[in-house]
Amino acid sequence: MSTLLEVKNLKKYFKTPGGMLHAVDDVSFSINRGETLGVVGESGCGKSTLGRTVIHLLPKTSGQIIFDGEDISDVDDHKLKELRRDMQMIFQDPFSSLNPRMSISQIISEPLKIYHVCKNSKELDSRVTALMETVGLALRFRDAYPHELDGGRRQRVGIARALALDPKFIVCDEPVSALDVSIQAQILNLMQDLQKERGLTFIFITHDLSVVKHISDNISVMYLGNMVEKSPKKELFDNPLHPYTKALLSAIPQASIHRKKERILLEGEITSPINPKPGCRFAARCIYAQDRCREAAPPLEEMAPGHFCACYRAKELAQG
Amino acid sequence: MNNTVSFKEYILKTGTASVQEYSAENDNYVRKSQLREIWGRFCKNKIALLGLICLLLLVAMALFADVIAPEGYDNQDLYNKFALPSAEHWFGTDNVGRDIFDRVVHGSRISLTVGMISVSIAAVVGILLGSIAGYYGGRTDNIIMRILDVFMSVPGILLSLSIAAALGPGLFNLMIAVGIGSVPGYARIVRASILSVKEQEYIEAAHCIGCSNARIIFRHVLPNCLAPIIVQATLGVASAILVASSMSFLGLGLEPPIPEWGAMLSVGRPYIRDYWHLVAFPGIAIMITVFSLNVFGDGLRDALDPRLKQ
Repeated sequence: MSTLLEVKNLKKYFKTPGGMLHAVDDVSFSINRGETLGVVGESGCGKSTLGRTVIHLLPKTSGQIIFDGEDISDVDDHKLKELRRDMQMIFQDPFSSLNPRMSISQIISEPLKIYHVCKNSKELDSRVTALMETVGLALRFRDAYPHELDGGRRQRVGIARALALDPKFIVCDEPVSALDVSIQAQILNLMQDLQKERGLTFIFITHDLSVVKHISDNISVMYLGNMVEKSPKKELFDNPLHPYTKALLSAIPQASIHRKKERILLEGEITSPINPKPGCRFAARCIYAQDRCREAAPPLEEMAPGHFCACYRAKELAQG
Repeated sequence: MNNTVSFKEYILKTGTASVQEYSAENDNYVRKSQLREIWGRFCKNKIALLGLICLLLLVAMALFADVIAPEGYDNQDLYNKFALPSAEHWFGTDNVGRDIFDRVVHGSRISLTVGMISVSIAAVVGILLGSIAGYYGGRTDNIIMRILDVFMSVPGILLSLSIAAALGPGLFNLMIAVGIGSVPGYARIVRASILSVKEQEYIEAAHCIGCSNARIIFRHVLPNCLAPIIVQATLGVASAILVASSMSFLGLGLEPPIPEWGAMLSVGRPYIRDYWHLVAFPGIAIMITVFSLNVFGDGLRDALDPRLKQ
C-alpha cells in the first residue's frame, strides 16, 4: 500500500484585524492510495481550510505537501493547472457550488474543455453522457439548470464535475451535510462505489460521526486547527484516547435504550483561534487538564500501532 | 387516448426512476438549443416583444431614412415657418420652415448611433475596469477605483465637454466624449455585483477545475452580474442622447443643420409656449426609443436568467 499524499507540518494562518487566526496549525498526516481519511471536528476547527489548503485552493502559510511522490508545496501556475487534473474537490453546498447560469452539461463538460481532453464535440458529448451515467443522473437533465434539480441530484452534478478529469484524489468538504438523510445514504454509497471502481483517494471532511464511521478507513479528529487524534476507524471508535474525542463520541445517540451511556458534557465555549495561547488548545475545556497542558502543546504521539494522540495524559487515562 | 399516461411518461414527469429505467428515453433524447430557449422565454413577455419590434422599426427608419423622407432634412420654406401639423407637413415645420417629420426621420440615424455606441463604449470599458477591480481586489481595486473617483468628482457633462473640446467636434469624438463620461457608473455597478458573486462556492469550484482568471470572469462571474448592467445600459441610452444634444447645443457636437433629436429639442425650446410641435415630436421619438429599450432590456434580463423559467 503506497502513500499518495503526505502532509507535513502544514500551517495556514489568516490575517485578521484582531491578530493572526490559526486556522490550521502544524498538521501532519498521510493517506494511502485508495483509502479515505475522515476529518472530524466541530464548526470552525479548520477542517475545510485544511482540505482547501492541501489542494492549493488557499495558499499555505508553511509546511510541506507531497503528492504522488512529488513535492508540491510550492508550485507555479502551470504546474498547478496540471495538478488540478489529479486533485479535485466536492463542495458542501450543492445549491451554491453550481453556476446558476450554466446547464448541467455545460457544468460537467467545462473541465474537459479547459484541458482539451476531447478532440471534437461528439467525443465531448459522449464523455458527458458517460459521466452522468456514472453518477446516476438521468440524461434528460442535460439541458436543465441547477435550480431545477433537488439537492441530491445537484450533488451528483458536483461529483460528476469532480470526476470529469479522472482525478486520483478528491477532497470532499462535507458533501452530504446539506442533504436529507435518505439522500445522504445514496450519495455516500455512490462515492464508495466510485472509490472502489476508480481507486480514488478521499479526504472526507465532516462533522457527522455516523457518516465518517460509514466511509472512512482512518479518522483524524481536529480541534481548533490542531489534529488531536488520528487512528484507524475501528480503533478510534472502540478506544478513543483524547479527552475531546471521548466527549465527541459520547455525543452519538444510542439506538439501544437498555444501554445507558455516559455523556461527557464539555463546559465552556470553544476558545478563539486568533492568537491562541501556548499549550494544548483543548486545555481550557478539558476536565483532565493540568498545568503542563497549559504551558506547551503536547506532540502527536503514537500510543498504539497506527493510533496517534496529542495528549500528555492519554496513557494514564487509558489505564484508568 | 390522452388520459392514459404511460409508465415512461410518468417517470419522466415525476423523475422518480433510476437511470436504467428510462435509458430508452435517453437514446432518442433531443438536445434543446440554448438560444432557442432564451428566445422562447423572451417571447413570453409580450411587452418586451413590443419593445423589440419598436426598436427594429426605429432601426429600419434610420436605415431607410432616404426612402421614407426623400426630401432631405434641410429644405427651408421660410414662408411656412411654425406650420402646425397638416397633411403636407405631418409633424409641422420648425422655426426656419423645415419639415419636422423629415428631420425626425433623418435624426434617428444620428441619435440612435450616438445613444447606442456611446453606451456601448461606456459599458465595455466600465465592465472591464469594474470586473478587474472587483475580481482582483486589493491594490488593483484601489488604483482603478481611485482613478474613477477622480472622473466621478467632475460633473459628467463637464467631463464630456472637456473631452469633446480636446478631441474636437465630430460624430465619433462626440460618442467617445459621452461614453467616457459614464464609464465610472458602469464600473461601480459591475464591481459591486462582482464582489458579491465572487464569494460564491461555484467560483471556488471553477478555480478547482483549472479555469483561468479570464475564463472565471467572463464565464462565471459576469453572467451572474448581468441584471444591473442591462438596466443601467438601457437607461443610459436616453441620457446619452440628451448629453450629446446639449453638447451639440454648446457647439461641441454636431453642427447644424444636421438633425439630431436632442438638438431639435433645444432649438424648439424657446418657442414651446406657442408652437408645441417643435419639441413634442422629437421628444416623442426619444421617449419611444427609451421606452422600447427599457422594456426590451427588462425582457432580455429575464430571458437570460434560467432561474425565472416557468
